[in-house]
Amino acid sequence: MTSKLREVPKYAFLSIVALLSVGPLYFMVVSATNTSQDVLGSSMLPGTNLIANWQSLTEFQDVGSAMYHSTVNAVLTTVLALVVSSIAGYGFEVYHSPNKDRLMWVLMLAMMIPFAATMIPLFQLFADFGMVNSAFAVVLPVIATPLLILLFRQAARSFPHEIIEAARMDGLKELAIFWKMFVPTMRPTYAAAAVITFMAAWNNFLWPKVILVNSDYQTMPMLISNFTGGYVIDYGALMLAVLIASLPTIVIFFVLQRSFVAGFTGVVK
Amino acid sequence: MTPVVVPDRAPKKKSKGPKIKPSPAARRRSLTGWAFLLPAAILIGIMMFWPMFQALILSFKTGRGSALDFADPLWFNYTRMLEDEIFKMTVGTTLLYLAIQVPLMLVTALILANILNNPRLKFKGFWRTAIFLPAAISLVSYSLVFRTIFATDGLVNDWLLALNLIDGPVNWLGNTDTARMVIILGLLWRWTGYNMIFYLAGLQNIDPTTLEAAKMDGAGPIRTFFSVTVPQLKPMILLTVIMSTNGTLQLFDESFNLTRGGPANTTMTMSHYLYEVSFVNNPNFGYGAALSYVILVMVAILAAIQMKVGDKRD
Amino acid sequence: MKKLRTGMALAATATFALTLAACSGGDSNEGASGDAGGDEPMGNSLTVWAWDPAFNIYALQEAEKVYQAEHPDFTLDIQEVTWEDLQTKLTTLAQSQEFEELPDIFLMQNNAFQKNVINYPDLFTDITDSSVAFDEFPEGVTAYSTIDGANYGVPFDAGTAINAMRTDILEEAGLTLDDFTDITWDEYIALGEQVLEATGKPMLSGIAGEPDTILMMLQSAGQSLFDDEGNPTITDNEALSTSIELYSEMVEKGIYLEVNSWDEYIASIVNGNVASTINGVWISGSIQTAEDQAGMWGVTNLPSVDVDGATHFSANGGSSWAVSSNADVALAEDFLSATFAGSTELYDTILPGAGAVANWLPAGDSEVYAEPQEFFGGQAIYADVLSFAAGVPSNNTGAYYYEARDAVGAAITQIMGGADAATALGEAQSTVEFAMN
Repeated sequence: MTSKLREVPKYAFLSIVALLSVGPLYFMVVSATNTSQDVLGSSMLPGTNLIANWQSLTEFQDVGSAMYHSTVNAVLTTVLALVVSSIAGYGFEVYHSPNKDRLMWVLMLAMMIPFAATMIPLFQLFADFGMVNSAFAVVLPVIATPLLILLFRQAARSFPHEIIEAARMDGLKELAIFWKMFVPTMRPTYAAAAVITFMAAWNNFLWPKVILVNSDYQTMPMLISNFTGGYVIDYGALMLAVLIASLPTIVIFFVLQRSFVAGFTGVVK
Repeated sequence: MTPVVVPDRAPKKKSKGPKIKPSPAARRRSLTGWAFLLPAAILIGIMMFWPMFQALILSFKTGRGSALDFADPLWFNYTRMLEDEIFKMTVGTTLLYLAIQVPLMLVTALILANILNNPRLKFKGFWRTAIFLPAAISLVSYSLVFRTIFATDGLVNDWLLALNLIDGPVNWLGNTDTARMVIILGLLWRWTGYNMIFYLAGLQNIDPTTLEAAKMDGAGPIRTFFSVTVPQLKPMILLTVIMSTNGTLQLFDESFNLTRGGPANTTMTMSHYLYEVSFVNNPNFGYGAALSYVILVMVAILAAIQMKVGDKRD
Repeated sequence: MKKLRTGMALAATATFALTLAACSGGDSNEGASGDAGGDEPMGNSLTVWAWDPAFNIYALQEAEKVYQAEHPDFTLDIQEVTWEDLQTKLTTLAQSQEFEELPDIFLMQNNAFQKNVINYPDLFTDITDSSVAFDEFPEGVTAYSTIDGANYGVPFDAGTAINAMRTDILEEAGLTLDDFTDITWDEYIALGEQVLEATGKPMLSGIAGEPDTILMMLQSAGQSLFDDEGNPTITDNEALSTSIELYSEMVEKGIYLEVNSWDEYIASIVNGNVASTINGVWISGSIQTAEDQAGMWGVTNLPSVDVDGATHFSANGGSSWAVSSNADVALAEDFLSATFAGSTELYDTILPGAGAVANWLPAGDSEVYAEPQEFFGGQAIYADVLSFAAGVPSNNTGAYYYEARDAVGAAITQIMGGADAATALGEAQSTVEFAMN
């Protein structure tokens, strides 16, 4: 009984945080059904303008194409980034040596410079190779990120060494240890990495905007940006576009959050 | 001090230290390790270090548009900053955001992650998703919502007036202090759930037996949290500290979208100013590159200190 | 250098191929560099960069139809890019010297024209000697895109300023549109107090720290933030200091409502919180989204600032078409001169279709402009706007327009916060001078 009572502040705290978090989302959902004028009047009640908003959204914008290109870019980035960065992070930690620590440190410097400064030389690089407008050019710069490598390096620190030793005794190859032992054990870390990578790739704006010169390849963030560029902003349609663009990240998170279950440590026993 | 058990792998690691002559197997393994890093290292080298090198050269050049020449003296752009009142102000503003927002956010995220990790908690999926949501919402709607609720006739003023906490409406975004506060609140709102997921992932890698052992030894939940959970989460905490430091010193979105840097540039961040110098104003890329290297050095120094303190294999 | 870069790109691709092979799959045949921009004389297709589907892009689509009447094979490939992104792309392409990715034609904000031509002349084609008759546009408008006597742009969107007023609110205070026509700002303030007293509504709203209103006042007085040599004239500028005083007075008296963002500004208009707004004629598009206010609006000219050379006319915003250095020049010039600089039919279509008011003077003779507008209480506002346009003094933007604008905005914020005006403007002047050296 007393333990039940002690739970109350915890749930109250969670409820407040959740309410604050979801509030703006509620506004976004409601606004997608309202007219532009009502959105500006910050109406908190659902309206009847959803269909009209959809029509004005699709009248000028190819939502399907933008969703497709966003999905291709984000999925491609996430899959490749997880493979390349996790194996590197594993390599840094499991085979760690002073030289590898130094290299890690040098690689981290790369994330410390504002992108606005390196964007133009990067563009030049891809342009020289005729890769402007290609999906490769969008994903290549974000596959290997120091942040993700660091994440896997830090996670690998709690990966028990006994497992590796035991696997070596059993004659498993190094790559097989990574693939068969580390990857399944680190499912929560992969889930977290997948969420943040997908989210970053999905919302990536400046680089795709510059490298995808031809707007036939435009992604959802660009489509949304187009909405705010005109003389007359249709806020209802804008909020609908924003809502649609937010859904994939939410779904991905909702699916992957199941991996954050206490005690889920796979083969580790 | 505490009798609590923390798994101790240190001796094992030490035995593989550099003092012992490596066996052929160990050497082969070391090479395997390098092979594992290679794809990432090459990609980062080409996609990031090559452009960074170009930017470094650029930072020694002056001139407008694409007609740039090496400056005389070479460090001209770097000394120019010392007289740049706007840049100096953006440095102060950015450091203020860093000092207030990062500790607040990470502590909140850690507490939330710890609560959500409790196996007996109900509706875990709902709580987790709700708290993560702000990170998933597009910047456009988030800044629109924040501007609306902090408008002079917005929701926040309405509530505060109704509760008699203020005498008249506050112009939140129109005054320097309150506008900075709105930016910090915005950052907290948007990134706390994001950082929480790193801690949640990290918590899954904690050996549950250590928590049980602490309980057996009679440690309460708070004691357990500080003496068992936090030490084992240290690698993840270090990661989030470095990440948030980096993110805040390079902060652009909130300054650009929420306040447009106003009033009178007092909420503008360094990266926002860099963007203005390069893409909005009469373009001065040499100076912009120099600014970006100053940001790099600031992040690097802070990250080096954090690594020094937090990256010991103990 | 170039070789090395190519080498690195090769290495990058090799690595990528390896990575791809290492993991399974991934859709990748997106590729194919899209630009077909030709050097061959007179093709039949043009690529254009522009923003705003309801306005600029709509106008382009109509222009395409007009041109197709004479050239059935002609097609226009319109790429939607917001102005901010367009500027970023142009800067990136110019800075990396990758001009072959440029479209044939792009739209440019009038205020940014000088900056871009002066910094990146390689992006543009000089179209002075084309078939475009530049003398058929108001001089104040072609001045934006004329650098050292050479024309680089065909004016399109007029930023002509209007004073759009809620006649129903004025009526409550016993006033009419005529009372606000051809008056000075001092008279305007007196009338504004009358309206505020009778209705509780301020006359105007605007974004705090954005100097749009003040710059419109300044331009109406024939002044700008730079002198003819391009030096900033933020200090010792009588028209500017008078405008700032008028602005402060209005804010203090509650006639001018300062808001914090564009959304709030539009909201103050469409939710009926203010009695009027002064802005470029393009604001009429946003005004008309408030369908419940149909018939309650009227348009008149601006109050004048009490200095020498003052007029009742000004401008804010506006944009022009530029022909890129990567263009099919002959076709681009012919297209522009046959449409935006030569087709009454085009302007007759896009005026009712999008509220796009012509800069091209001959278009004003069309009867479409004389048609009464129901939303504006039956007033033929577009004919009025055209008559305003002819009187707009030109504005010397120079290459440092945005720096000066930001500096003045910051100074105004400080002045409104109680700082001494002369000191704040002195700081603004030195900020701009710092940016220029």
